[in-house]
Amino acid sequence: MIDFPKQPVSKNVIKAFLSISIVFLAIWSASGLEISLERLAKAPQLTWILISALFPIDLSQEALDRIIPKVFESLYIAWTGTVIGALFSFPIAFLSAKNTSITIRLPRFNNKKNIHLYSSYVMKQILNVIRAFPELILAFIFLPITGLGALTGTLAIGIHSIGTLGKLSSEVIEGIDEGPLEAIKASGGNKNNELFFGVVPQVMPTIIAYWLYRFEINLRASAVLGVIGAGGVGQELINQLRFRAFDRAGTVLVATVILVLSIDTISGAIRRRIIRGKSVSIVEANI
Amino acid sequence: MEEQLHLQTLLEKMNKIRIPKKPFPSPLLYLGIPMVLLFTNYSYNKIGFSFKDFQRNLDNRHIVTDPLFNPKWSWAIENTASPMIETVQIAILASLIGCFVALPISFFASKTTNPSRLTFLLNKSFLNLIRTIPDLFWGMLFVAAVSQGPFAGVLALTMFSLAIMGKLLSETIDSIDVGPLEAARSTGATQQQAVYSSALPQVMPNFLSYFLYIFELCIRASIILGLVGAGGVGRIIETQRIFLRFDRISPIIVFILLIVIFIEQISIYIRKKVL
Amino acid sequence: MIKYKNLSVTYPGGVEALKNINLEIEDGEFLIIVGLSGAGKSTLLRTTNGLIMPTIGEVYVDDKAITKAGKKELKEIRSNIGMIFQTFNLVNRSSVLKNVLTGRLHSVSTLKSTIGAWPKNDKKIAFECLQQVEILEKAYVRASNLSGGQQQRVGIARALAQHPTVMLADEPVASLDPVTSRVVMKYLKKINEDFDITTIINLHFLDLAKEFGDRLIGLKDGELVYDGNIEDVTDSDFQNIYGRTITSSDFIGEDE
Repeated sequence: MIDFPKQPVSKNVIKAFLSISIVFLAIWSASGLEISLERLAKAPQLTWILISALFPIDLSQEALDRIIPKVFESLYIAWTGTVIGALFSFPIAFLSAKNTSITIRLPRFNNKKNIHLYSSYVMKQILNVIRAFPELILAFIFLPITGLGALTGTLAIGIHSIGTLGKLSSEVIEGIDEGPLEAIKASGGNKNNELFFGVVPQVMPTIIAYWLYRFEINLRASAVLGVIGAGGVGQELINQLRFRAFDRAGTVLVATVILVLSIDTISGAIRRRIIRGKSVSIVEANI
Repeated sequence: MEEQLHLQTLLEKMNKIRIPKKPFPSPLLYLGIPMVLLFTNYSYNKIGFSFKDFQRNLDNRHIVTDPLFNPKWSWAIENTASPMIETVQIAILASLIGCFVALPISFFASKTTNPSRLTFLLNKSFLNLIRTIPDLFWGMLFVAAVSQGPFAGVLALTMFSLAIMGKLLSETIDSIDVGPLEAARSTGATQQQAVYSSALPQVMPNFLSYFLYIFELCIRASIILGLVGAGGVGRIIETQRIFLRFDRISPIIVFILLIVIFIEQISIYIRKKVL
Repeated sequence: MIKYKNLSVTYPGGVEALKNINLEIEDGEFLIIVGLSGAGKSTLLRTTNGLIMPTIGEVYVDDKAITKAGKKELKEIRSNIGMIFQTFNLVNRSSVLKNVLTGRLHSVSTLKSTIGAWPKNDKKIAFECLQQVEILEKAYVRASNLSGGQQQRVGIARALAQHPTVMLADEPVASLDPVTSRVVMKYLKKINEDFDITTIINLHFLDLAKEFGDRLIGLKDGELVYDGNIEDVTDSDFQNIYGRTITSSDFIGEDE
């Protein structure tokens, strides 16, 4: 009799448990929200009604005069917010990364021990706090202070971007190859040399790619912020929908889609080019 | 010192060396950087930032900061428990439906598993289009379609989840090992069978990982959807905001943070155990 | 002149990498160190330029004690010692030229080097060193686009650009094929002879050691177990150093 190897029990048990709990959660949610399968079945029909109301879109001069500037406003907000995010997150990232952080020694007078303040730990906590707030909540908080308009949206997006870009960039910095740094140190270079000639060339392409990706996301965020009046195209959409001017709402939608698609394409192409580097023909292998 | 001079003189003897030409910097940099700077300046001006106004506005900050740091916990607990649960339920349903619907679409949207150029283009374009619409826009649209309430929220976030899972998963499928797929085909299996037996198992771990990520995103998005009437806590936040009751909003924010952290922990645990 | 006096190095985990090493190296010598992985070869090399500090004992480079050198003095000592590595340690995304220029960092102010305002003389030196290893035409090519052998030559050029008096090579050919390895070893030998640079090389290929070495040092478990001329080395000496019989993996083999 051959003893067949037994499959590890624990992994399968957890998988089964998860599957059951997922089904349970789904049923619990559906009943809590009073969503039955019939309701779901009706949804496509109702959606189709909406879509046919949206199209054909309103291309009148009046509509375009209202909507196009707002679309561009979303672009400016997203761009400026991303620039703010990139600019401030860059130095913060270096302070947050464990391998490039600085240590401040605070002398204590009563006992001989010094307190070491690791900038990495402090910065990471600050970034976590900033990141916890979605752009919308930040915009909420700024609205009464900076008023309705593009400034609020820009600030909200900018500050949130500092948080996310800071964390991502610091992770890139922490993941570099330390070898070239050792080589620079061995040839008599100082810490700054290691930073500029060893760290920066290694991290820049990835970090810039993150900036561009963030721009793509911020564009969507800035479109949304308009809903609470923080500038951009969201305001237009919600107004048109409220006034049941569906064809104009369609215009807003199409305009937004075109903007986001174009930026996505351009940004995506630039990102791929940066990561890949200039395409070079195969170098001969002879020495 | 003597050795150094020795080296230097020997090197100087070869002053007849052909130094290669420095390559012209790529146009991307030459044009790109000034364009970026100009555009930044232009956008900044268009936003209309005035330092004086900003300073004056900062003085108003007490309207917000005073109540903000004076949270009314009991009110929050009483009134937000039920909407919070609603928020979570919306996220659960939406991410489940969206991600599972995205599964077949992703396979169609990848050249690796879809030999038919037409359906590939259709699905891929569909996914790209869906991705461009922000979550709140979906919310507004579905509220208009099926009227206010969490149902609109579920539908909106389903599209949201579909879009993200579609992109992530189709890109993953693009980079899987085609070997097992070809092997299955060569035994006479149909494309469908081959994909189901060879491609699907390869991407399952990624699928689960993406699902957990999208679920977290849905929780955050679901909170906000209430703003446009699609259910969840957002509705309450909006009403309180209009009355500047930041003293009620701050505890809500804290609760949201706690829930998000809690779900993050569960997510990490599941990832560790199953992946 | 490099002197190792009662040199012992113990790592924080408790590993004794070097045990009481006493060694003297004259100027212009071409020295090859062999030993198993973990025998202490890398550690010995890195104590020479202070990348690793001795736990007990001292290292003297031109009568300057490494452990007693201040920050500035240590940088000066290092700028006179060139080092090449098994993994080349080039900055992959930078050009060959930029990599070689990092060898001149010790003589250029931090500000100038950062903004790329290299003095003409330093650029000239960089080009000359590239010419020495016959790779000048690739000056503006991205480092990662080169083959392994080419990258190591850039590493040599970088070290050479320091105008060093000592050259340290930590397993420089371990990741290269036999043909390329011999070329690199030939360059190292040529530099040692032309410019009188004290050269210390870690190797684990015994046939390369026999082919190129003058003086041979054998390390085993952190201890110095052999010190002699390469002609006098026998196979049983190698077995002693390795503590086991010699296998084919200890030879790099013939050129194909």
